[in-house]
Amino acid sequence: MDPNNAIEIRNMSKTFKTYKDKQKTLKERLTRRRGEVQENTVLKNINLDIKKGETVALIGTNGSGKSTLLKLMTRILYPNQGTVETNGKVTSLLELGAGFHPDFTGRENIYFNAAVFGLTREEIDKRVDDIIEFSELGSFIDEPVRTYSSGMYMRLAFSVAINVDAEILLIDEILAVGDQHFQNKCFDKLEQLRDSDKTIVIVSHTLGMMKILCTRAVWIYKGTLRLDGDPTYVISKYLEQSAIDNKEEVKKAKEEKIEDLTPRGCIFLDQPSNFEVLDSQINLHLIGWAVSNSLDEQIEILIDDQPLDDIARSVRTDVYDAYSEDYAGFLDENKIGFEKIVAAWDLTPGTHRIEVILRDGVTRRQIDHKTIRVRLEGEQAIQPKGD
Amino acid sequence: MQTLREFYEYRELLKTNVRKDIRGRYKGSILGMLWSFINPLLQVFVYYLVFPYLMRGSMENFLVFLITAFFPWNFFLASINGATGCIKANAGIIKKVYFPRKILILSQVISNLINFFFAVPIILIFVVIFQIPLTWNLIFLPLIAVVEALLCYGCGLILSAVNVYVQDVENLVQFFLNLLFYGTPIIYSLDMFPSGSMLYFLVSHNPMTLLMNCYRNVMMYGTMPDWGALGILLVISAVLIMFGNWVFNKLQKGFAEEL
Repeated sequence: MDPNNAIEIRNMSKTFKTYKDKQKTLKERLTRRRGEVQENTVLKNINLDIKKGETVALIGTNGSGKSTLLKLMTRILYPNQGTVETNGKVTSLLELGAGFHPDFTGRENIYFNAAVFGLTREEIDKRVDDIIEFSELGSFIDEPVRTYSSGMYMRLAFSVAINVDAEILLIDEILAVGDQHFQNKCFDKLEQLRDSDKTIVIVSHTLGMMKILCTRAVWIYKGTLRLDGDPTYVISKYLEQSAIDNKEEVKKAKEEKIEDLTPRGCIFLDQPSNFEVLDSQINLHLIGWAVSNSLDEQIEILIDDQPLDDIARSVRTDVYDAYSEDYAGFLDENKIGFEKIVAAWDLTPGTHRIEVILRDGVTRRQIDHKTIRVRLEGEQAIQPKGD
Repeated sequence: MQTLREFYEYRELLKTNVRKDIRGRYKGSILGMLWSFINPLLQVFVYYLVFPYLMRGSMENFLVFLITAFFPWNFFLASINGATGCIKANAGIIKKVYFPRKILILSQVISNLINFFFAVPIILIFVVIFQIPLTWNLIFLPLIAVVEALLCYGCGLILSAVNVYVQDVENLVQFFLNLLFYGTPIIYSLDMFPSGSMLYFLVSHNPMTLLMNCYRNVMMYGTMPDWGALGILLVISAVLIMFGNWVFNKLQKGFAEEL
């Protein structure tokens, strides 16, 4: 193994055996034939060097094998062929809170959890204050863990894992811990670790964050290593491929005439909000957005079951950023939003029901809908003459 | 060697595991840890009541004879039972984190060893009550217990790993432990069999018989342990541990997938 490498993977393949009916008892093993085993190759012939001090993002769609690769690096799984070698102490944040015992206090659990990561008592003693401070649990640290909220639990678990001081840190989708404040703190800590000599491998779908955090991205596509290099380039290529794949999938489904295939998607109305009380003299301003994987999506707005026409589409970069991976290939950044202004004189005072519906244009199938009620108070608005 | 180095690195995990095993076992019950002594004592009491009626020639100091072997047996029984199931019982954590899996087996054995040491004063109280003189040979007691622990560790390595793949192991282990209990002179004396019989041959060649004799030597008869027997046990343990290591290393690679 090259001494500059933290992780070295050579010609590695991983196959999972799936039994149609798992044979667990001796009788079944003896009596049943072995014909029902299905082999499922998750990773094929992977060669990868991760150098010491690198921060690497592993990207890929669900089921592409990136999490399996991470598990192979931690030695939870072992390859069927080839080798996975690591150089240095490895800590994995695959699942937070491993070894937590609900009846013991947070402080005691820090010791249990850190012991699982291979720390000695003296090493934990040195870090325990940092861990408690980072977790922001305050006096709760001496309460049993079973009394914690799930957020507190995760915060404690993350604090332990990130303060273990491993040379190699493997992280699987954990930037979703806690509230925004804590997430920012985690991100800062990760940046700090990146700038030290630690080696970090992260699996995440938060691509924007990966671009900022990582110095290198590795794209796993259908079990093989597809692209490896600068995050910005790799991520854009990955999104391109996802776009092609997503479209293909829908096309294929159409060709095969799968009637039951309901397109995914959602619609959201930003304004007005439900049960809002509005001034009847002012025009009603409807703003919202919709995303779907339908090639021909349509938005309908009904007020008291009366459809409105001429719905304008608008730019929504914020929504695009959030959904660009999930709906890659279907989103047009400039047409995600929708807007409609209803003249005040077209509505009577009182309660009105507003319904927004997202439909697939071809099948007319409803993808998503939202209904809200608003109340207009005041005098009936009068249309200015001459218009 | 690799294993020993990892054990050293993860010594804190070993310690916390042992502590959890000892304290956790009877957590919530009023008498707590005392149960680990009361249970075997009650069992001994049952045998003490029943057996003199079944066996004509009642033995001198039968109660001490029972106790001096029953607690060591209980140590063996608890270790094997605990070790066999420990990989499965910790499935959750094994699927999440890497740590040397053998620590789970070792901590089972060590926690039971410590439990046994706690029980030794109780055994000795009975020895004193029945006016059997205590001798300096008692200093060999820890040595015998450690040999037994090694034996348990070797068996535990094999059983725990196979148990992940074949569920029947747990049941088979129950059966063999039962067989072994009656195949070892714990509640009876080997003298009761005619010396030429098949049964005598089998029981006297049972390694557990050698072990129990060593315990009785130092605690009851006030002699040195049978060094030859202890040597044989040590060799058996060493072979078991080496074989167990090989089996375990092979099988542990599939733990996360099989569990």
